Amino acid sequence: MTPSFADLGTATLRAALPLAIWGIGAAAYAAAKRDGRALASARWSALIVFVLVVLAALAMVGALVTHDFSILYVARNNALETPLFFTVISLWAALEGSILLWTAILAGATAYVAWRGTPALPRLGTTALAVLFTMVTFFLLLVTTPAADPFARSEIVPLNGNGPNPLLQNHPLMGLHPPLLYLGYVLFSVPFAYAIASLILGEGGDRWLVTTRRFALVSWALLGVGIVAGSWWSYAVLGWGGYWAWDPVENAAIMPWLVATAYLHSVMVEEKRRLLRSWNLSLVIATFALTILGTFLTRSGVVNSVHAFTQSAIGPLLLGYLVAIVVLSVGLLLWRMPTLRDASAVGAPLSREAIFLFQNVVFVAATLTVLLGTLYPLIAEALSGAQLSIGRPYFDRVEVPLALALLFLMGIGPQLPWHGASRATLERQFTAPIVAAAAGALLAVATGLGGAFAVLTYALAAFVAATVVQEFARGIRARRTLHGESAGTAFANLLRRSGRRYGGYVVHLGIVLVAVAVATSQSKTVEIERTLRAGDRFDVAGYTVSFNGLRDVKEPQRDLLVADLAITGNGADERLRPALVFFPHATQAVGSPGISAGLRDDVYTILIAYDTSAQTWATIRVLVIPLVSWLWLGGAVVGLGAVIAALPQPKRREALRPLAEAPATVGD
Amino acid sequence: MTRERALILIALLAILGAVAWSARPHDPTPAERVDRITSELRCVTCQGLSVKDSPAASARQMRDLVVQRIAEGRSDDEIRDEFRASYGDWVLLSPPVSSWTGLIWLVPLVALVAGLAVAIGRVRPATSSVAAPSARELAALRERVAREEALDLPQTDGAE
Amino acid sequence: MQRWLRLSIVVGITALVVVLMLAFRRDPHDIRTGTVNKPAAAFTLDRLDGAARVALADHSGKVVVLNFFASWCIPCKEENPALVRVWERYRSSDVVVIGILYQDSLESGRRYVRDNGVTWPTLTDEDGRIAFAYGVFGIPETYFIGPDGIIAGRHIGPIDEATLVAAIDGLRPKAAR
Repeated sequence: MTPSFADLGTATLRAALPLAIWGIGAAAYAAAKRDGRALASARWSALIVFVLVVLAALAMVGALVTHDFSILYVARNNALETPLFFTVISLWAALEGSILLWTAILAGATAYVAWRGTPALPRLGTTALAVLFTMVTFFLLLVTTPAADPFARSEIVPLNGNGPNPLLQNHPLMGLHPPLLYLGYVLFSVPFAYAIASLILGEGGDRWLVTTRRFALVSWALLGVGIVAGSWWSYAVLGWGGYWAWDPVENAAIMPWLVATAYLHSVMVEEKRRLLRSWNLSLVIATFALTILGTFLTRSGVVNSVHAFTQSAIGPLLLGYLVAIVVLSVGLLLWRMPTLRDASAVGAPLSREAIFLFQNVVFVAATLTVLLGTLYPLIAEALSGAQLSIGRPYFDRVEVPLALALLFLMGIGPQLPWHGASRATLERQFTAPIVAAAAGALLAVATGLGGAFAVLTYALAAFVAATVVQEFARGIRARRTLHGESAGTAFANLLRRSGRRYGGYVVHLGIVLVAVAVATSQSKTVEIERTLRAGDRFDVAGYTVSFNGLRDVKEPQRDLLVADLAITGNGADERLRPALVFFPHATQAVGSPGISAGLRDDVYTILIAYDTSAQTWATIRVLVIPLVSWLWLGGAVVGLGAVIAALPQPKRREALRPLAEAPATVGD
Repeated sequence: MTRERALILIALLAILGAVAWSARPHDPTPAERVDRITSELRCVTCQGLSVKDSPAASARQMRDLVVQRIAEGRSDDEIRDEFRASYGDWVLLSPPVSSWTGLIWLVPLVALVAGLAVAIGRVRPATSSVAAPSARELAALRERVAREEALDLPQTDGAE
Repeated sequence: MQRWLRLSIVVGITALVVVLMLAFRRDPHDIRTGTVNKPAAAFTLDRLDGAARVALADHSGKVVVLNFFASWCIPCKEENPALVRVWERYRSSDVVVIGILYQDSLESGRRYVRDNGVTWPTLTDEDGRIAFAYGVFGIPETYFIGPDGIIAGRHIGPIDEATLVAAIDGLRPKAAR
């Protein structure tokens, strides 16, 4: 019998499991006894496990591409008519494949730490390696047992599979969003492992977070960009005209991201002033625990959502894993609490470290709110049998003020010095930004932005933007004076040599773009619904929408009913094709919007209903959504800023111009 | 008053004015009432979307019903209660503040206040006041800051 | 302060875990409505076959099985034979089955009725108001109305003959009295 992809996959996963278990022992022994040979053995285990799991993933892709319907996963998520691109990406279309992808990424991170992380800090790194091996073992157990075995066979081989869920084969973004999200989730295992190692070894010191700083930044950035990609998918594919619905799975992704953001900032306080140690450990444990909770909420079907595919045995297992992690890490933290006491106090309330402390509190409050809002329906039902919903109105009302508070802290934090600021400093630093804030508020009122929160958002966005511009200006001026560089060179050098700081400012600018996009699109969207016959047209917000009839389109894996629209006015001249998509196995059609994206407005069209007998009329909903493109732009800017911050800095020391030539008010 | 303080004061007043202006209470138009009510009603055939957001047929029919009831002169609460009678509290996307389920509105407030109280408790201002530096010391400090900014002394980066 | 903090962390996490475990008892498809044990909403609707309009009041004193269906609904087709058998068994007595078309065009509804041998009265609910009044989440859904006009129970999803018979028989003695 020729070995099939299924055989290859099964064999590699089952071979990897004992190796991973061996790795735990080898790494733990190496750390305890400082044994070089055990470490070498652990390293090679890590590498081989990674190779094996990647082979298993490739085997799954092979099985999908060759339409091997004897494998249950392939039969459920693939069909003969599925296009190649969607066939390949259905590796992560459903539960088992997603867990396989997760395992592969985790094995990769483990191998990386094994080879690059252990030389620098032998004991810490090796202990972290043991922790990582334990996690890999858990996930390998999932994929080699009926809980989530991707290569489980079925006795009856169907002639054709079901094909992927219609929502998952409507847009190429499905190729990007899950892997990004998973990379973000899984890579957080590394800082977590180091934190646990630090607690186990009793090294209350700060080396663990310095070593993992770049890992944390990269995970955070990938998770953030993954969330924005998911938002974009919701907007461009789900066809309801919005980008965030506080759906439980969306919440599951944003919770670890919020806490991770707090963590990234809070570590700076530990680096600079050796404070907030227990905060940082708690934040990294919370981030990791929330990634597992998120997976649990998504995969166990416990809360209704777009992503809840099945209710399978994996729920209790993930819950058990989550409980074990939380109990062990919190236990370790409480045990080592005495050694983590801060040497000094935070100091003045108007100091950078105090601001970071406040932002920790606000981020945690925001995360707790999302967590409780998501779980509250479950709690209420468990306690009283009452069934209730908590949706957008609640989350929007509660999270927006917290977000505004964070915007405010984002503006003042970088401007305040460590240890505290005098009144003169405050006046100097903040006059221009406060004036900018006033300009922002007046601009909001002038453009007809409704609502106090929208006006406040504009004010705070202008405030933050002004502080960032101020910081760049000061930095450029300093470099020009000290090195005689031109403004352009100075700017580039700021990013290159002080990437962490100025990349951070770029990230803040990205967040400002996102805030403005959200406030504007939520407050000034115009929505109209009309029933039209071919040749009809109507006006909305300066655009003219003409309807040119319905037509059928047949594609290999789906049928479409397309409404031909022409959008003119306000400089736009575009044809849009909102459609209803009919998949062979689905009872109801899936809507596919027609979007004309622009820097100023998006014109978003949905085919709502149509004349089923003769196709003479169609009901079209048109939304004109201002500034929503700035959301995606802002996300890209955040990613760019993170890249700038993560790049290693050039070590070359520069020559200074003699200071005698410099004016006395340098850096003012 | 220094120039900076005057500017700051004017700017703050402008912001306050803008916020107050945009928050001024006004009677909602029927269209605004429809939007508000439908954004708080859950589309019963969807995954969690509001009636306002959802393009589903059932959501559109619910919206038509809301429009009709508003034209008939019903209040927001009466309209919501009509749907509650059929579907229970589940159909409201925002738990009513009155019943015990309204407890959820307290949670973020409590979390924030408690957290801030703890945080502010930890922030202790400097006990000793340091004498202000002289002009020469200030100039020397500025020089040093400029040098350090330009040199970009490495942070406590470990090996990666 | 430390003890207070530790205690609250432990309590918080335990509470979270207990909630998540309790959550497993819950079936995400089980959503209860508020209309059970309340008076059935009155209606007067057009028939699909164009005959005289039917009102709920026409059948007061009888057991009414109200079934919401549509042509695009595959489980409706699957449950149809059970409904046919039950109708055949009880049609000459004090039980009436009424079908209400949900989110579908008249044409498709008529075609479904013809193709699936639906012989009980089928009505159209064009603006969906009746579905809302009963609290329909999605089809197929079946409501059991007693002779007293109170909704005695409902079933979400395709129904089988045994459930139908049990529910009907549970209500019939009241009618005979």
